[in-house]
Amino acid sequence: MKRIVALCTVLAFVVCSGSVPLSAQSARGGTATPIKHLVILYGENVSFDHYFATYPKAANPPDEPVFRALPNTPAVNNLLTAHLLHNNPNLTNPANGADAADPFRLDDTQAYTTDQNHAYTAEQQAYNGGRADLFPKYTGKGTPGGAGAFGTRGQVMGYYDGNTVTALWRYAQHYAMSDNAYTDTYGPSTPGALEVVSGQTNGMLAIATTAKPATATDYSYYVNDGQGGLTMINDVDPASDVCSKPDDNAFMAGKNIGDLLNDAGITWGGFMAGFDLTVKNPNGTTGCKRSTYSPIVGQNVADYIPHHNWFAYYPSTVNSTHNRPSSIKAIGHTLGADGVKDPANHEYDLEDFYAAVKTGNFPAVSYIKAASYQDGHAGYSDPLDEQAAIVRLVNFLQRRPEWKDTAVILTWDDSDGWYDHAFAKTTSPSSDGADQLDGNGTCGSGQALPGVGGKPVNGRCGPGTRIPFLVVSPWAKTNHVSHTLITQASVVRFIEDNWLHGQRLGGGSFDASAGSIMDMFDFHMSAAMPVLLLDARTGNPVPSH
Amino acid sequence: MLAAAAALISPDGRNPQPVHLIRPAAAPLSAMAQLGRLVFFDPSLSSSGALSCASCHSPQHAYGPPNDLPVMAGGANLKRQGLRAVPSLMYLERQPNFSIGPESGENEGLATPAPASNAVPQGGLFWDGRANTLQSQALGPLLNPLEMDGGSAARVAAKLRRAPYAWRMVQLFGAAVFARANVAVNEALFAVARYQIEDPSFHPYSSKFDAWLEGKARLSPAEARGYALFGDPRRANCAACHLDRPGGDGLPPLFTDAQFEALGVPRNAALAANRDPAYHDLGICGPVRTDLKTATQYCGMFKTPTLRNVATRHAFFHNGVYHSLEGVLDFYTYREAKPQRVYSGAKYDDLPAAYRANIDTVDAPFDRKRGQAPPLTPAQERDIIAFLHTLTDGYR
Repeated sequence: MKRIVALCTVLAFVVCSGSVPLSAQSARGGTATPIKHLVILYGENVSFDHYFATYPKAANPPDEPVFRALPNTPAVNNLLTAHLLHNNPNLTNPANGADAADPFRLDDTQAYTTDQNHAYTAEQQAYNGGRADLFPKYTGKGTPGGAGAFGTRGQVMGYYDGNTVTALWRYAQHYAMSDNAYTDTYGPSTPGALEVVSGQTNGMLAIATTAKPATATDYSYYVNDGQGGLTMINDVDPASDVCSKPDDNAFMAGKNIGDLLNDAGITWGGFMAGFDLTVKNPNGTTGCKRSTYSPIVGQNVADYIPHHNWFAYYPSTVNSTHNRPSSIKAIGHTLGADGVKDPANHEYDLEDFYAAVKTGNFPAVSYIKAASYQDGHAGYSDPLDEQAAIVRLVNFLQRRPEWKDTAVILTWDDSDGWYDHAFAKTTSPSSDGADQLDGNGTCGSGQALPGVGGKPVNGRCGPGTRIPFLVVSPWAKTNHVSHTLITQASVVRFIEDNWLHGQRLGGGSFDASAGSIMDMFDFHMSAAMPVLLLDARTGNPVPSH
Repeated sequence: MLAAAAALISPDGRNPQPVHLIRPAAAPLSAMAQLGRLVFFDPSLSSSGALSCASCHSPQHAYGPPNDLPVMAGGANLKRQGLRAVPSLMYLERQPNFSIGPESGENEGLATPAPASNAVPQGGLFWDGRANTLQSQALGPLLNPLEMDGGSAARVAAKLRRAPYAWRMVQLFGAAVFARANVAVNEALFAVARYQIEDPSFHPYSSKFDAWLEGKARLSPAEARGYALFGDPRRANCAACHLDRPGGDGLPPLFTDAQFEALGVPRNAALAANRDPAYHDLGICGPVRTDLKTATQYCGMFKTPTLRNVATRHAFFHNGVYHSLEGVLDFYTYREAKPQRVYSGAKYDDLPAAYRANIDTVDAPFDRKRGQAPPLTPAQERDIIAFLHTLTDGYR
C-alpha cells in the first residue's frame, strides 16, 4: 500500500481508489495508510450542536474574534439546517415546564457555564425515543460553576459559535469533520473513556464499592448485565490508581487497544496532564492534588482526574503509582533501553509527549488528555481554556517534520447532556431498569449485543449522544464534512485497520461494527497541504513561519 | 511572636521576600460587560425608580453601602429596611461555590481548598452563601421587596425592553431575547456579572499591603505591629480566617477563607425585624436561606467577608451592629474576657440558646475565660486598625 500511495502522490492527477485494502499493509511494521502517527486529543463533555449548531454562520458581534465561512463550505446537520433554532420541540413540549427553551447563542464572555446532567439514564430520557425534546427536563440540571459562570433555566439549549470555538471552526474549514459521530453508549466520562480504547463498557469488576446497581430512579455507576456480570454506565474511579477514591473503584475485564499494540510491538502511550505526581505547580500543589488556576473559571482545578484515565481501568495497562518512564527514549515502548520492562507501562504525563516528540520519539498511537481546566468540561473548564490546549498541540505537531504522516483526531468523551437534535437509531439495545430511551426499562428493541463473555448484556444502550469529531492531518480532506455514521469505537477500528491488519478486540467490543473514519481522509492527494497555525487565545490564524 | 514578626517584616518595614502578584488581566470591557455596566447603574429596574445596584454597592465606597446605616432602605417608597448589612461586591471573582464538607463525586475535578474540618461550610455569595454565581446573586436584590423591589421577571423584562440599552441586548442575544422574560432577565444579569468580572475596579489589588507584598512600600511601625498581631495565632488570630498570604503562583490574598463561622455578634436593636423578639437571623439556617433550616449545627453561621477595603465601611457584621473598626476590635477583644462590654443583655443575645454551642470559643481571640486578661490591649487594637487601613485600594 505504501507503494501505491507514493505512486498516487507522484501522479497527482491519476484517480485512485478511495478504499484501503488491508492486505496491502506492509509486513515491516508498515501501515495501511500513510498515517504513521495518530494523536487522539480526547476532550470532555461537548455535544455536536453545542459547538456547531449554526456552523458555518457566526453572529460576529462587536469586539470578538470574527469568523466568516469559506464560500464552498458544505452544509452540516445542525440546528441551522434542521430549522430548529426557533419553535424547537424543547420549547414547545410542555413537559419541560418553566425550563422550556429554544436554543440560544452563548457569547464568548459566557464561555464559563454551569454544567449539565450527563448520566446514562438522564440522557436517554432527554432523547425521549429519538424526539430529542426533553433536554431541559432531564439533562438541564447540573452543578453551578463558579462565581463568574453563566447559568439560566433551559441553559442546556445553549450553543457556541465561531466567535468562541473559533479554532475548531477554522480546523473544520481547513481539514475534515464528521457531523455524524456518536458516543457508543449514553452516559458520562468513564464510559466514553473506555469506548475510545476498548469499544465497550461491559465487564466491570467492582474492586471496591458502596453502590448498588442503578435503577430508573437510583443513580449508580453500574448495572447488572443480566449474565452475572456488570456493565459500567456512569463514572467511577479506576481501581489501584493512587489518586482514586478508595471506597468506589473498578477494573474492566476484556482487552483494550493498548494490549493489541503491545502484542504487535507498536509504540503507544496514554498522556495525561497532571499524571506526573512529582511535579510541583506554580501554586504550590503537587501529587494527586496538583491543580492550576484558571482566571476564566476563577478556581484552582485539579489537573488529573482519575476517572478520565482510559488505560488505568485495565490491569494490563495500569500504572497505579504513576511511575516515571526510565528515559525519554523509552516513552511509547514496553521495554526500557536496558531491555527491562519500563515502569511507566505506557502511561505518561502530557509533558512527556511534548518532550518525547521533540526528540523525534513520536509514538505511533498517542491518547492525550489536557489538564482538567483545559478539557472543555462545563462547571470547571470552558471552551476558551480548551482552545488553548488544542491549539498548543496542533500548532506543535504541524511544525514537526513528522507532520507529513500524522493525523490528529479531536473528539470528546461525552456530550455533557448539552442539547443535540440528532439521533442515531439504536443498534445496541438494552432492557435494564436504568434504560429509559423508549420507555421504562427499554432502549431499542431486539436482543442485546454480546458482551465480554459472548452473551447478550445490558447497560450499553447506544449509540448515545452526538459529539464533534474532527480529523486534522495533511491527509484530511479539505473543508469536508463526512456524514458516515461513526462512534468512539471507530477510533479503535482505525488503529486496528492501520497498524494491526484489521485485527479486532473481540469480547463484545464495538470495534467490529463501528463505522470507518476513512471518509475524512484523502490518501491520494499531495501531502503539501499548508498548515494552519492559530493563535491559542483568539483562534485566529497566525503567520506560519 | 517577635521572631515570627521579624521573619515577616524587615526592620525598615519592607517585605523581606517580595513577590510578583498576578492580577486579573485588564482588557477593554467586552460588549457584554458594557451592557452590564448600564444595567448595574439603571435605577429604572427598581419599583421606586431610584435604586440601582450601584445605590447600595457604591463604586465610591468599595462597592459597599454609601452611608453608616446598619442596613440599607428600599422598597417602593425607600422606607423599608433591609435585613442585613450590604456586603461589598469586590473580590468575588474567585469565590468558590457553596459546599459543606469534601467535594462531591459529581463535581468532576474542582479542587476545593482543604477546609480545617470537613464539616465547615464554605463559599457562595451573600452572608448565607445561598447564591453561587454573581448572576444569580444579582437577582436577589433586584426582586427583594425590601430592596430594589423589581416585582417579577416579567416586570423587569418589560423594563429592560424599554431601556435605552435594549438594542445592545438584541445585538448580543438575538431578536428573541425578549420573547421570554426569564431569558431577558438572566442575560441582563449575566451581563452585570460579567461587568463585575471584567472591570478592574472590582478587583484592583491596589492596596498599600499589595504594594508591600511586592516590595514597593514600607509598613509604618504601627502597621507592622498590627500585621504581626493580625497573624499571631495566640492573640488576634485574624489571619486564621482572613487569609493574608499570596498563592505560590502569585494570586493576591483575598483576606477570607470563604468559610462560615458563628461569632455570636450582639443583637442590633436598630433593625426593624429585631423588634420581634422571636426573630433571629440564623444565617445558613435561615430565615432568608431556606434549604438548610434543619442543619442546626450551622445555625448562626455567616460567611467570613474579605477585609480588603474594610476601613472604608461603616456597617460591620451581618446585622450592621458596629459602625467603626474600634467597635469591631472591641468585640473580638472582650467577647469572652469581658462580655458585659459587648452585650447589653445576655451573652450571645442574638442566637437562641439551642444554637449557642455553634459559636466558636476555641480559637483565639475567643479562647479566653471571663475575667482573664483580654487577648489585645487598646494599643494593640489601634495597631491592628492601622494595619487594616493598609488594605484599602488606591495606594500610590
